This record gives sequence, structure tokens and C-alpha cells, in this order.
Amino acid sequence: MISVADLLVDDRLPSNYFASDVYVRGTLELGLLENRRGDRLLALPHVFLKAIYQGLDHETGQATRLVLRNCGLWWGKNFYARFCEELSDYYKKPVADFAMAEFLQAMQECWRTHGWGAIQLETDHHAQGFLVVTIQNSPFIAAAEASTEPAGALEAGILQAFFSQLTGRELTCVQTDCESLGADRNRFILGLESRLKSVPSLVQEGQSHDTILQMLTR
Amino acid sequence: MNPTLNALFDEPEKRYLDTDELNLLSHYVGSLPERITVYRQLRNDELTIMQAVADALQMQFAQASEDLLKRTLQNGMLALRYAAMALLMDDPAFVTKRLQTWLPEMVAAYGTRPMDEALHQLLEQQLTRRLTGEQWALLSPGIAAAKALLDPAAQTDTVEAPLAGVL
Repeated sequence: MISVADLLVDDRLPSNYFASDVYVRGTLELGLLENRRGDRLLALPHVFLKAIYQGLDHETGQATRLVLRNCGLWWGKNFYARFCEELSDYYKKPVADFAMAEFLQAMQECWRTHGWGAIQLETDHHAQGFLVVTIQNSPFIAAAEASTEPAGALEAGILQAFFSQLTGRELTCVQTDCESLGADRNRFILGLESRLKSVPSLVQEGQSHDTILQMLTR
Repeated sequence: MNPTLNALFDEPEKRYLDTDELNLLSHYVGSLPERITVYRQLRNDELTIMQAVADALQMQFAQASEDLLKRTLQNGMLALRYAAMALLMDDPAFVTKRLQTWLPEMVAAYGTRPMDEALHQLLEQQLTRRLTGEQWALLSPGIAAAKALLDPAAQTDTVEAPLAGVL
């Protein structure tokens, strides 16, 4: 028979670690905003993000996307490591022992609690080797300069680094829909670079996300 | 704390609380000793209550995998702990706020809903047997809030079935 006493982990029932009202706290009299582990958090003003984008555009022009993507890659790599550390500390088990559903739910909650928008994973095409990630209400894309191309280079970098580490494969990430271009959400396709080679030009031609996905999975 | 009560403390610089507001506060404070009694009882009897639920649930779902049964029992214990806290704070919405982005998704991902629903029935049987009608009236809104999260409509977004082996 199951003993319920054995179901407790150190007398606790680990659940929603990133629940916003417990995750974000701080020593406000010292001007410190912190997460529940005591790591420092920072509220970034929208105008500050806009200023960074404008500065980048002014100084580097065409290279802005590349710079942002590289920042995203660096961020994503560190974010993955810190995220795994926080989760395994809280659940008292290594990340390898997590069910994928649990791991991804925590990632979604983490994203939401940090105010980076609502992220979702669509796995309908994973049998064909593609993962679709959507983000609604991205603060980074909301601050981007007006352009005719998708503006989520930073997020594309984060997602690429995060999921490459999660799956243990060198993935690439291409954005196919963008809130800055009037889409209801930002859509990103992740997969092996060799299989996504054609996608950036299709996006430039203005093909829709669904059409691109159909072409990839045909 | 109950958001209506919480809001009473928001604007001391604006005005003094009126009679109705003070009555609200008195009513809550008056109910606190009973809330604490029930809370203490739940704290002390948690394992006994949940073990009785676990034994009955295991009989009812004799064919189910032990891992899934354990998961359901953890969900149930969590529901009871959150409901107990909601009872202290007179705030069943606390249960929803903390669990709504998590519990429905875990229930959907592991497909434990029938067992979770059966667990709630067994848990209610245990609790109504141990508590007076008045005590159950204080606790039940929190339990009901947790139970409502089992409804697939409560799911805010989807985490698909385990992605193991993806890509």
C-alpha cells in the first residue's frame, strides 16, 4: 500500500515554484528586488529597452539583429543553467528526473512571472523534428524599432540556446510571426539548421507561419 | 487575506473605516478562533485523513499505476494544505491564484483527472465525518476552489504530453 507520509519531500509538497506572489520578493528598503532564492531581480523600464534598441540601431545598423541574437544566445545558455539549478534545488531532484511536462510547465510559469509574456510550446510537429514556440505580449518585441521583418531576434537566441541544451542537439530558431507585424502572437520554429535553411527567405517573402510549416513538414 | 478585508487597510491617509467596514473586520476576527481550531485539527490529522483516502483510492483504482496514484494523492494533499491556509485567511481565491497555472496542467499532462475527482469525493467524506457542519462551511470553499481546477476548462494553456525524445 502507498504510505502518504512517504509522499512528502522534507515535509513539503513541491508544487508551483514560480507562482508570482511568492517568487518575486525583496528587501525593498535597500532597493533590492529578489526572487525567492535571494537572486537579484530587476524591473526594466520599457523606455530603457527602446533606448537600447535605438542605440544599437544607430551604432550598428544592419547588425542589430545579429547582436541581439547573440545576446539572446548568451542569455539563454545562462538562463537554462540557472533555471535547472533553481528547479532541482526546490524539488530536491536532478533535472534529468523531471517529467518533460513538469519541466515545461515550470518554464512557462517562470517566463510569465518574469513578465516576459505568455510562452507556449506546440509539439504537433515534433515527430517531424520541429518544435513551435509561441510568445504573446513580448516586452522585448514591443520595444523594437519599426521594421518589415520579425523583431524577436533576442528571443530567437534565448529559445535556440535553451532548447539546444534541453534536447542535447544543436538547434536553430527562426521567427515566422511577429506581434510587431500585426500577428496575434510571436511564433518561432525550432529544428536542425539544415532543415530550417530555407525558412528565413520564406519569412522575407512574407509567407505565413502555417504555409512555412506545411512546406517544412510536407 | 480575503481581498475585501485586505482592501480595508489600503488607504489610512484617506479616511477612517466606517461602521460596516469595522463590522466586517469584527466578523472575521470573531471567526478566527474556530478557523484556528479547524486548522490545527487538519495539521494534526493530515496523515491520518490522507492515509484513509489513499487506502480507499487504491481499492477503487486497483489497476492504476502506483506512480499516478501517488501523483493524485500529492495533488490531494496539496489541495488540503492550500484549503487549510485559505481557511485561515478567509480567502478561497488564494487556492485558485496559487494553483491555477499549475494544477490543471499537471492533471491534464498525466491524465489523472478521474482519480483526482474520486479523491475529492473521498476527501470530502473524511472531512465531513471529522468536522462539524459549521467547521466544514469554513473549510469547504477552499476545497471547492481546488476541485474546480480539475475541470479541463480551468486550464490556462497547454503543456503537451511529455516531449521526451523530441528532435
